Amino acid sequence: MNRFMRWLGIAVVVFIAAPLVIVVPMSFSEARSLQFPPPGYWLGYYRAYFTDVSWLVPTWNSILIASATTVLTMALVVPATFALVRHRFRGKSIADLMMLMPLAVPHIVMAVGYYSYFGDLGIVHTHLGVILAHTCLSVPIAFLVLSANLKGFDRTLERAAQSLGASPTRTFIHVTLPILRPGLVISALFAFIQSFDETVVAIFISGRGAETLPRKMFDSIRQEADPVIAVISTLLFAAVLIGLTAPLLLSRWRGRRARIGTG
Amino acid sequence: MALSIASLSARKNMWPWLLLAPLAIYMAVFFLVPLADVAVMSVTEPRPTLANYERVLTTALYQRVFVNTFATAAIVTICCLIVGYPLAYLMANSKPRTAMLILLLVTMSFWTSFLVRTYAWMVLLGNNGPLIWLLRAIGMEQPPQLLFTRFSSTLAMVHILAPYMVMNIYSVMKKIDPTLIRSAESLGARGLSLFRHVYLPLTAPGIANGSVLVFVICLGFYVTPVLLGSPREQMIAGLIGNQIDEFLAFGMGSAMAMVLLFVTLVILTIYHRRFGLDKLWG
Repeated sequence: MNRFMRWLGIAVVVFIAAPLVIVVPMSFSEARSLQFPPPGYWLGYYRAYFTDVSWLVPTWNSILIASATTVLTMALVVPATFALVRHRFRGKSIADLMMLMPLAVPHIVMAVGYYSYFGDLGIVHTHLGVILAHTCLSVPIAFLVLSANLKGFDRTLERAAQSLGASPTRTFIHVTLPILRPGLVISALFAFIQSFDETVVAIFISGRGAETLPRKMFDSIRQEADPVIAVISTLLFAAVLIGLTAPLLLSRWRGRRARIGTG
Repeated sequence: MALSIASLSARKNMWPWLLLAPLAIYMAVFFLVPLADVAVMSVTEPRPTLANYERVLTTALYQRVFVNTFATAAIVTICCLIVGYPLAYLMANSKPRTAMLILLLVTMSFWTSFLVRTYAWMVLLGNNGPLIWLLRAIGMEQPPQLLFTRFSSTLAMVHILAPYMVMNIYSVMKKIDPTLIRSAESLGARGLSLFRHVYLPLTAPGIANGSVLVFVICLGFYVTPVLLGSPREQMIAGLIGNQIDEFLAFGMGSAMAMVLLFVTLVILTIYHRRFGLDKLWG
């Protein structure tokens, strides 16, 4: 049984890894359409991506929209999370459920709703519309991360500060916030990524005016499979790889330096 | 004195509401209203009747799409389980370094955008892709069409959703007390019977979590079936998309969306009653 599980596991690892790895050689390929193995290698499609306005504008739109979404999400979620984690009140369970609702509704359903509602409000195909929609979809994710952090928060630290004479505001700024910082950063990062990757709602409401990168990629894959998509895929993949390994390597490097320092 | 305590406690009770108010108002205006808009459109566009629902539920073409969507979601869930269970097992039972590497791979896949992974499968399964190349190399004269079939979209969805399954099962496996397994072994449980009577029941909550999550996400999946699937075997999300951006049939699109939403919520409610919804994503 054990050996069987092991071989199955290895087969699955290959299955998971292959699609992630394949886009890298494709991005350096000379081929005009999908072809593997590539006939030759060059950097032409990288140049194409970094010089073509029709790719750079959506990239910029996505960064702008994801940043604004993150700020708005955090401004709404941080106080609400404090209320929901630290207080008991009537209607709390409904409020809890409301925070998670956007996760339960398929994005295509929301896309139909936003398309018509934002059309009535006159903000369909604008940055504002996409930001407002994306914020709703980012709220549950930011909330889940932050509330998990806040539940694990040791409140005796706050009491200690207050017993030493710190006012509630001072305690909040000098004790609560610094301890919560990692949770806040991760929660904001998740909100950013949620918006940056969101495709379905963006396909329907971002239009020409606020075209996001996923929308542009979707259209491009659907129509012609432009090789530039392999370049963007590689860049996004590299960003994920760096984002995941950098904290690990950094903490290991710090740990080693600390050991050398004390030893 | 009594009065001031009462007013103090009243003020204390105001706090959570004040903190919660901005988000609650925001969600009401930008989440509930557009959602309600879909519900309203489904019975008022183009005329205020229930005709849209009647058409959605009785037309053979749409019925086929519903059946197809359910079948695909079920197949994807089962495949995710077949793929995810051994991987989670490997993660939970390997040396720390190996476990770490697999965890890194799974998280990497999880965080890589749906679109990137969908595109990658397009490359892998394309007519000039490595898989067809391999099939030719081993002597197949006429390799089958892989791309734009039910096979390609199902395979890509399994790949995209497998990390959800792995993470859910792994988090349960990691918490299993190894002494339980050892004591079962000391009582004579071996191989398959150890797995069936001890390990499998212990991991059941992870399986339930992962399966519900994968099934529900798959029901409403838009991007991958539209890009990789066969145009003749649509899933419901693709059909809703068509109604909106091709036919501008908001009434029909909304009615289909409401049916999809209803089914999703029924599944999640049953789950919520038994396990609690917050555990699903947490």
